[in-house]
Amino acid sequence: MTGHAQKLEVSSLTVTGDGGRRLLCVDSLTIAAGSAVVVRGPSGAGKSTFLYALAGMIAPETGQIRWGETDIAPLPEPARAAFRRRNMGFVFQEHLVFEELSAPENAAIAALYSGRADRGRIRDRAAAELARLGLDGVGTRRSDTFSGGERQRIAVARALAGGPGIILADEPTASLDRDNADRLARDLVTLARTEGRTLIAVSHDPALHERADRLIDIVDGRLLEAADG
Amino acid sequence: MDEIYHALPNWAQDVLVTLGLLTPLLVVGLIVLRGFHVGPLLLGLLRRQVWISAVFTALIAVSVALGTGLIAQERGLRQGTARAADKFDLVIAAPGSEITAMLAAVYLQPSDLPLLDGATYAEIAAHPRVSLVAPLGFGDSWRDAPVVGTTAGFVDHLSEGLAAGRPFTAEDEAIAGARVALEIGDSFAPAHGVGDAAEHGAHGDFAYRVVGKMPMTGSPWDRALMVPIESVWSVHGLANGHGPDWDGDIGPPFSPAHFPGTPAALVRAESLGATYSLQAEFSTAQTMAFFPGSVLARLHALMGDIRQVMSVLAVITQVLVTAGVLAGLMMLTRLLARRLALLRALGAPRRFVFALTWSYAATLILTGAAIGLLLGIAASFAIAAAITARTDIVVAATLGWPEIHLVAGFVSLTGLLALLPAYLTMTRPVITDLRG
Ligand SMILES: Nc1ncnc2c1ncn2[C@@H]1O[C@H](COP(=O)(O)OP(=O)(O)O)[C@@H](O)[C@H]1O
Ligand SMILES: [Mg+2]
Repeated sequence: MTGHAQKLEVSSLTVTGDGGRRLLCVDSLTIAAGSAVVVRGPSGAGKSTFLYALAGMIAPETGQIRWGETDIAPLPEPARAAFRRRNMGFVFQEHLVFEELSAPENAAIAALYSGRADRGRIRDRAAAELARLGLDGVGTRRSDTFSGGERQRIAVARALAGGPGIILADEPTASLDRDNADRLARDLVTLARTEGRTLIAVSHDPALHERADRLIDIVDGRLLEAADG
Repeated sequence: MDEIYHALPNWAQDVLVTLGLLTPLLVVGLIVLRGFHVGPLLLGLLRRQVWISAVFTALIAVSVALGTGLIAQERGLRQGTARAADKFDLVIAAPGSEITAMLAAVYLQPSDLPLLDGATYAEIAAHPRVSLVAPLGFGDSWRDAPVVGTTAGFVDHLSEGLAAGRPFTAEDEAIAGARVALEIGDSFAPAHGVGDAAEHGAHGDFAYRVVGKMPMTGSPWDRALMVPIESVWSVHGLANGHGPDWDGDIGPPFSPAHFPGTPAALVRAESLGATYSLQAEFSTAQTMAFFPGSVLARLHALMGDIRQVMSVLAVITQVLVTAGVLAGLMMLTRLLARRLALLRALGAPRRFVFALTWSYAATLILTGAAIGLLLGIAASFAIAAAITARTDIVVAATLGWPEIHLVAGFVSLTGLLALLPAYLTMTRPVITDLRG
């Protein structure tokens, strides 16, 4: 894990979906290393598509996605996965965890496929992040015994366990109640800030908007800088 | 290499073949799993899909059991029938069907055979290279046990020493086979004929007394009662094989003029070479001489064709089941698609997802094959017991190397085939699967 916050530069990016439909079009975007950015927009606007493209989970049709020195757009899938593994933590909208595994196993899932040398570090950091999120001492309970909020925190611990320089979160608080949502919003931004990570979160949550360095709106697959950002 | 291989003992060759058959699987397994720790997720998948996994495992187990059971059974039957014929070096009978004569003389199956006359029998008995010859007398029974007239010398040869008691020395004495429900000291009256047609009391008040018990031989003789041949002839109103100057000692020599005939003479030669020359010498217009072992070998060769059909059927079943299981695995991996996509979205290498899917398939295959092997052994034990109960031929149902080789080959082949569904999961689009 490099663990460095990375600057993002996107240019001439287009993503098309099935049937050649244009899902996303970004002429130019720069996000400073270590900043916390929140992306908003109506449902179906292309927010998730944007995050997936930044994460290298989908290959864009054209353009560049430059994280630090690396343009991931032209890379083949395995190389993009490797970049993600080393530099990114991703939090999905619906607390996607492996229900049969315990919280520590889920948070340290990357230890299963990382090199022997990294495994111990991933497990230690996963345990530390769980503790930071108030989930220490949960033992070996299966994850499907946890509440939605707890599962989302397990997913956040998993995203942070690799010590990534970049955190991407797709509506991380959407499936949580108010209290849990506030708490997670605070945690995410704090965790990013205190360790100088770049955070890009898609969210409608005012709690996150308040804390963001910058707000970006997406409408119909196009980026608009929010005036109040 | 070849020379070294052939110099090895059989078991070592078999172990080598097994390892050779398993090598593709082991190599693939090592390469696929190298550097990964699939255990926790693999257990998770198995637990999540416990019923589907169980059904697939059961399917594989049944097909493996069928294959191994058939092979073990067929070999057991072949060995069992051969062992039952072990003690019968050479049979000389009147010309006719060798198989009928063998079934009667070796396996005690009732049949009407033409008889050898006294002169021919005496010629065999007097031959310098014959070390033991015995006549046979069939036709009587006690309950389900055939009463077989012969000589004490042959009983001794067949039993390699009695388990208890002593040889018969008088016409009303008998030796019981190991599985006959008579003990030393018990008496029984022979019925004329065998089975349902047996006439009880046909031989008046005549009764035998058991004076000895044979050990288990694993042949139909375990269910027989052996009595002096003289008594069989006498109770049927025939000459008893001895002339007027008989000293009263039962057994050989017999007087050709007072010899009522025997359906077969059981012959033991002084050496293997002698056995062959006797066979040649007594294959004439008047006599038929044959080795039950080689008649059996011819029968087994005939059965060999059936065996091949059976093996082909077994392999086809296994291939079909495997194809079904793999098709099922493909559907199953679709069920798992979202979780596999999540792993890849998190940055797991494609190879890890490949390793996870493959190890899942390999677990089902290995577990199924192991259970199948045990089931196959259990099934062949059951069938062997049934055959033994019906025929008294002891069929040993043991796990043999051919079954192990079959299973090793099956496991390797299916393990390699399972690379295909594993590969397909690897090529799925991540986001499509993740969105579900
Ligand atoms: N593979 C695809 N092919 C075609 N259309 C897609 C595909 N994936 C998503 N879409 C569509 O693209 C649009 C943007 O989706 P998404 O990025 O999920 O929106 P948001 O996250 O802003 O709600 C939606 O209309 C969605 O239905
Ligand atoms: Mg979305």
